[in-house]
Amino acid sequence: MSRAFRNLAFAAAALLFFSAAQAQIVLKMNTLFHSGDAQAMERIVEKFNAEHSDVQIDLSQGQWADYYAQLYNAVIANDAPHIGIVHTTNLPQMQPALTPLENSPAGNLLAAAGIEGSNYISALWDAGAFEGERYLIPLDTHMFGLWYNKDVFAAAGLDPNVAPSTRAEFEAAANAIRDNTDAYAVHLAEDGLARKLARAWYYLYWGQNAELFDADFTTSTFNNDRGLAACEYLTGVVSNDWNIAAGDGFKQFTAGDLGMLVAGNWFYWTATEAGVNFGFAAMPTFFDTPKTWGNSHNLVIPKQPAGTPDEVYVAAAQAIKWINENSDIWGIYGGHIPAYNPARESADLLASDTWQVSLSTFAKMAEDGVLHYPITHPKAAELESVFNTNIELAYNGTLTCQAALTQATTEANRILKR
Amino acid sequence: MARGSTRRQLTGMLYVLPFAAVWLLFLVWPVIYGFYLSLWEWDPLRGSKFVALGNYQHLFTDPRFWNAFWNTIEFAVISIPLIVGFGLLFALLLHNRNFFGKDLVEASLFFPYLLNVSIISLIWAWLVDPDYGILLQGLKVLGWNAPPFLNHPLWVIPFIALATGWWLSGYRMVVFRAALKDIPASILESAEIDGASGWAKVWHIVLPLIKPSILFAVVLSALSSFSVLGQVLVMTEGGPGRASEVLALYLYRLGFHYFRMGEAAAVGFILFLLMLVVAIFAFRFLGFESEFERKRGSEKA
Repeated sequence: MSRAFRNLAFAAAALLFFSAAQAQIVLKMNTLFHSGDAQAMERIVEKFNAEHSDVQIDLSQGQWADYYAQLYNAVIANDAPHIGIVHTTNLPQMQPALTPLENSPAGNLLAAAGIEGSNYISALWDAGAFEGERYLIPLDTHMFGLWYNKDVFAAAGLDPNVAPSTRAEFEAAANAIRDNTDAYAVHLAEDGLARKLARAWYYLYWGQNAELFDADFTTSTFNNDRGLAACEYLTGVVSNDWNIAAGDGFKQFTAGDLGMLVAGNWFYWTATEAGVNFGFAAMPTFFDTPKTWGNSHNLVIPKQPAGTPDEVYVAAAQAIKWINENSDIWGIYGGHIPAYNPARESADLLASDTWQVSLSTFAKMAEDGVLHYPITHPKAAELESVFNTNIELAYNGTLTCQAALTQATTEANRILKR
Repeated sequence: MARGSTRRQLTGMLYVLPFAAVWLLFLVWPVIYGFYLSLWEWDPLRGSKFVALGNYQHLFTDPRFWNAFWNTIEFAVISIPLIVGFGLLFALLLHNRNFFGKDLVEASLFFPYLLNVSIISLIWAWLVDPDYGILLQGLKVLGWNAPPFLNHPLWVIPFIALATGWWLSGYRMVVFRAALKDIPASILESAEIDGASGWAKVWHIVLPLIKPSILFAVVLSALSSFSVLGQVLVMTEGGPGRASEVLALYLYRLGFHYFRMGEAAAVGFILFLLMLVVAIFAFRFLGFESEFERKRGSEKA
């Protein structure tokens, strides 16, 4: 009897040991999210970890500025996380560091995890492949829209429930705010950082059905009447006395001192917590067609060291699928538009204030093709720096618009030719 | 006798060994490896390519490099005198026996040095925030409609240098205070009896006697000024335009934003050479020894 009991105890201990060892696939996930986005992703991962006993996600977040360099170098050092985030426009730069999902060392991960492109916004899904290989699973799309202060509108004699949708209406509203209130009238670029000013110039330029470079990226194509018109409209914010050159739209709006602000969907929670009586509207048509700057976050599996077990790859792909299935949380708390169709149609998301106030309009903008991606090229970061610096110099009056565009053309062509 | 001398030398080398090992591993080796890296278009994932001095050649023909180079020189030329000058001025003022509230003032002047570069940068950026900055509002009240310093191409570097002077001069002050305390009171009393003015005492007696401390402060300030990054990154990100993009920031962007590690390493090596030249020049110009030690040495000879 005692021998049988001993054998049973040994077998039970062995079973426990092996099942415990089996349970512990820990997926390292590293993102560039911070503030509200980071908190929203934490909610999703906490839910994942609560619902899964066999796989756990170890999440680290918050490095925005150096994120891509860290991810790239982590792959070089054979220490990459199992799941990462990559913007759609960073795909050409990051592609060597990413696992091709249909052709991974563990086989076709999309098939293994049951990820189907038809479940995603098609434009976002299509943008996730590079040179015939799929690397990205879209998580969301995000973009700029028009936030306005209803109290400032009322004080200016405008209807607080009607936002401007045309250039004439926009300018009339801006002039009314300038003339009838103490508030700044307009800020077209969030906090006015150089890269935000460049984004404002981009959407004004794209709104004239124009592109920055030729199709093969051999030369720049923006030093023309349309580039000039976009720049002059942007600098008109200062020359029309709608705002000051170095103003920070985020600060002004949250302090209740700004009438209209062009900012991203992530601004929802900041505006809400600031207690501003605000409204939201789609981007007005400043020129020929309404366009806005936007991008997408995508889930990726960075290249793993040789010898990584197949089950780890599959677990990472399944975790990515699960995150997208629960990305209504990402919409509600992160303020982004989920790329996964069923999540975007979830009852919780549709009933949320985020959706009612702003996200539904953003989603409509995405469906209407208002979103335009920024530069998608291996040298995108360097090319963008050209626009950042020169548009900022035009905005603060150091350069004329024509001089800024000429200088930007020289610099951009130099980068493309190198 | 010879055996004892060798033994002493060996003992001395053993004492030096721990520091030498750390120094070689973390300072000398990175410099050598950085130079090696600068000879490559380094990208292990796409494939690295040996380009010899190609990265340097490209940098020397790149207007952006020269812009960053001259911005760095401008920052150093303004900030080094500010850091050392403020430190020396505060130390001399506090050396006065009759200075009221000396300890409190000394602690207040030293306090900024304890703060992190990000905090310093945020505080100064907030002071001149174009919308709500208290300094700009104050200057307006006083009758000067000052430009937004951090958004103005001409003002941006001097302003960051001023903030740096405020941040770092406290530590130099402490160094100078220690040196001033070492000056024998009898020398200054003799000078007073001979009728030397306050300025004459400082110029002809105090400064020559604290020369080693001045050298230390100048070299330390030069190294921190030529490698300035944190203040610029937090306060302006190199703007407006590229008006405050310094070499360290350009290096950071080349490496971490554009993934051009070879060129980033080349900028790093150029920066190293620049600082080496400045340090050698400072050592040559100021010398290692104070006037006191120099005279004592020449008397022995």
